[in-house]
This record gives sequence, structure tokens and C-alpha cells, in this order.
Amino acid sequence: MRRVITLAVVLFLNLILQSTVLQHIAIIGVVPNTALIIILSMALLRGSTEGAAVGLFAGLLQDFFFGSSIGYYAFLGMATGYIAGKFNKGFYRENYLMPMLLTFLATFCYESSIFLTSVLFRGHLNYLYFLSHIILPEMVYNTVCTIVIYRILFSVNSATEEKEKFKRRLFSIK
Amino acid sequence: MNFFKTYKKQIFILLAVLLVLCSFITAGLKQQTGLVGSAVGFVVTPLQKLSSTVTGYVGGQIASLSEERDLEAENEELKAQVALLEAENKRLSLYEEENKRLSDLLDMAQKYPAYESIGALVIAKDPGNWFDTFLIDAGRNKGVLPDMVVMESEGIIGRITETGPNYSQVQSILDSRSSVSAMSLRTGDLGVVRGDYTLMNQGLCRMEYIDAESEIMTGDEIVTSGLSDVYPPGLTIGYVQEVVTDANGLTKYAIIAPAVDFKHISSVLVLAEELGESQSDLDTSAQQTEESQPSAAALDGEGGTAP
Repeated sequence: MRRVITLAVVLFLNLILQSTVLQHIAIIGVVPNTALIIILSMALLRGSTEGAAVGLFAGLLQDFFFGSSIGYYAFLGMATGYIAGKFNKGFYRENYLMPMLLTFLATFCYESSIFLTSVLFRGHLNYLYFLSHIILPEMVYNTVCTIVIYRILFSVNSATEEKEKFKRRLFSIK
Repeated sequence: MNFFKTYKKQIFILLAVLLVLCSFITAGLKQQTGLVGSAVGFVVTPLQKLSSTVTGYVGGQIASLSEERDLEAENEELKAQVALLEAENKRLSLYEEENKRLSDLLDMAQKYPAYESIGALVIAKDPGNWFDTFLIDAGRNKGVLPDMVVMESEGIIGRITETGPNYSQVQSILDSRSSVSAMSLRTGDLGVVRGDYTLMNQGLCRMEYIDAESEIMTGDEIVTSGLSDVYPPGLTIGYVQEVVTDANGLTKYAIIAPAVDFKHISSVLVLAEELGESQSDLDTSAQQTEESQPSAAALDGEGGTAP
């Protein structure tokens, strides 16, 4: 329960900051997608199930406020979280290289899917333009932001895990 | 919990299919926020408002520090401009009087009806990089409805795409999904102002389907034409920055610099009900738009002004 509340607070806070403060730090018109970074970080830290759940809710929030339909970002987020969660096993959590690399590649896939599903069909065929003006800058920007956000989520996650461990011990005694 | 573990993959696949279906079904229908969205909006929008007010204030302070030096010179300049504009305004109001008198004589309905407007603050922007939508702090509680026109004093910003209980979503004219029927004020040439991905970040948009023989040129003012159901006629959109002939040689397109500075919108006006006899006004304006299409097209060649 504590975990759910913590994650909900993180996601709400992110939505608020991402749509207000972050707009002011745009570089060449590109804003980092912190929601995506949170989904990836949680998926890496906790695995597929939780990654997918975080992705689903982060996506739903975005759908409610900015989407033109309900379910679009939710699906993208859930798929991203689920797939990223597969990398949960077999890496050192304290190492930043893995989350950064994953963010770099996942941003490419995520934004390319948005291009494929909602831009291409409006008759914009010049993928290379979007690659160089939106996707690539965002990949770099997201990767840099991952360092900060992963660090924060790592601490948040350790704290909740610590609490949960303590709780479980209490129960096993009784 | 065991059930979930055994069928984890199936559950996720089912959820994914449901979400895709849901997004297909709700596409285009999402004009009024549902119960869950409303509840979430009730919590989130005040916080967004707070956050954007604070960042706006801090940003303003930082900007004012660096701009303080220029202020004095700007002040002088503006004073001179105010004097000039006041004189101009007096002259124009005389014209308005005259116009009113002449229109009364002609027994014509008012072409540019006065609208009641709702003031609102911009509280949040689309977090993604693909689209240009934002949220304002007026919703159904203030009488905002989908497809109302949003503007600033300089010109139009966009239209309402979705309304929640205390917030609404605005799609700007820079968004690639937006298209506005437009007209050059000087020549009467018709066209469609569209958002464009490649121009969005520079704060520009495109006017498409302009007749190749039109005499539209750089600096022309572009206004809404009134051929659309959403935008009333005569609202300023922007100014022509560049005219380009399409590859096929049959049509032209123009790069439009909107009159509104899209990078720094903080407060907007939502055009609501027309003032006065709305129903009869609507009818006559509908007739007028039907009439204005051929006449505007006929004027094309002559390069005359719109009636």
C-alpha cells in the first residue's frame, strides 16, 4: 500500500512539474519526457509487472489531460514498462550506465512509435526530419535527465523496500 | 495473487488490447472529460495553476532583472506610440460611427458581432514534443464549451478541444491537427491555416491552398474567413512571412507568423456567446458566409478588398 501511494505521489508530481516547470527548460524546443524516464527507472528497479503498472497510470494521466483519446499513452506506457522490466534481472542497480543506455534506446522506440501511429498517417513522411529535430535531441536530453531521476527513484525505492522488509519481519515474528 | 502470477502475460495482453480498442473508440469523441478524468483534474489543476504561477513569477523576475536597462527607452518609445495610436483610434472610431450609420442605412446585420468573453489563465502545457495543446483554468464551471475560440488581444490562439469541470484543453493553431479557414485581409484570397510540425517550434504555421494567381505577399494580414463553423470571421491570425509556390505550380502556400507570441501566453480570452440577438445573427452570418465565398473568389483576380 505504501508503495502504491508513493508511486502515485511521484506520478502526480511528475505530471504537474512536467506540464509547467519543465516547459521552461526546453532546449531547441524539446522538453525531456520525465514520465518515460520514471516508467523505465521503476521497471528496471522492480521488474515487468510494476513497470507496466507505472506505465499504465502515467499514460492514463497524460491521456486524461493532453491526449485526444483515452488509452493511447496508457498503452504505450504499459508496453514500455513491461518490456523495460525484462532487463530488471542481471544488472547492478547502483550502476547508472544501464538505465541511461535503456533510456536512450527506449526514447527512440517510444517516440518513433508516436511518429508511426499519429504523425505518419497525417501525411508527414519525412521521418529523418523528425529524427533529427525531435527524437534525437530528446534521446540525449532524456539520457542526461535519467541520471537525476534514476538517482531520486533509487532512493525512494530503497526507502520503501526497507520499510517493507521491516514489516514482513514483524509479521513473521507474530 | 496466485491467479495473477500464473496468468500474468495473458492479463497484460488483454489489458493492452483493451487499451488499444479504447483509444480507437474514444478518438475524436473525447470532448467532455469523464468522471475519473474530472476527479483527477479537480486535484491536479489547482496544483498546476500554483506551479505555473510560481514559475511564471520567477521567470518574470529573472527576465525583468535583465530587461530593466531597456525599460526606460522602451517606455519613451511606447509613450510616443500611445499618442500616435490614440490619434489613430479617434480617427477610426469616427469611421466606425460612419460605418454604423451607413450599415443602418443599408439595413445590414453586423458583420463582426460582439462576443462575450471569458478570461482564463494558462496552467499547463502538453508535456510531449509532438503536439501543441495546453490547459486553461476555466472549464464547464465558467461556461466554456468545446469548439469555443480562444484568443489573445492580438489574435486567435486556437480552440477548445475538451472541457473538464474546472479546466479545458486548448489546441493551438500551431498544432498540426488544427486547421483554420483563413483569408488575406488585403486581397481577399482564401486559404487554410494549418499547424506544421516543422514550423511549430519556431512559432510559425502555414497557409495552404492559396490560388497561384493570387497577389498575396509578405506582410499581408491574415484573418479568419468565416467559412468555418468554429471561427467567426475577421479575427486576426497573423502576418505573411514568406510566400512559396508549390511544386505543382498550381497553388501557393505561405508561412504565417501568428500575431500572438505563442512562447509567452499566460492569459487568454475564450469567446462565448454572441451578445445580442444571437439566433437571428447566426442565421444572417451563415447566409453571409455562403455569399462571401463566391464574391471573395471573384475578387481574387481583381485584387480587390473583401467587402
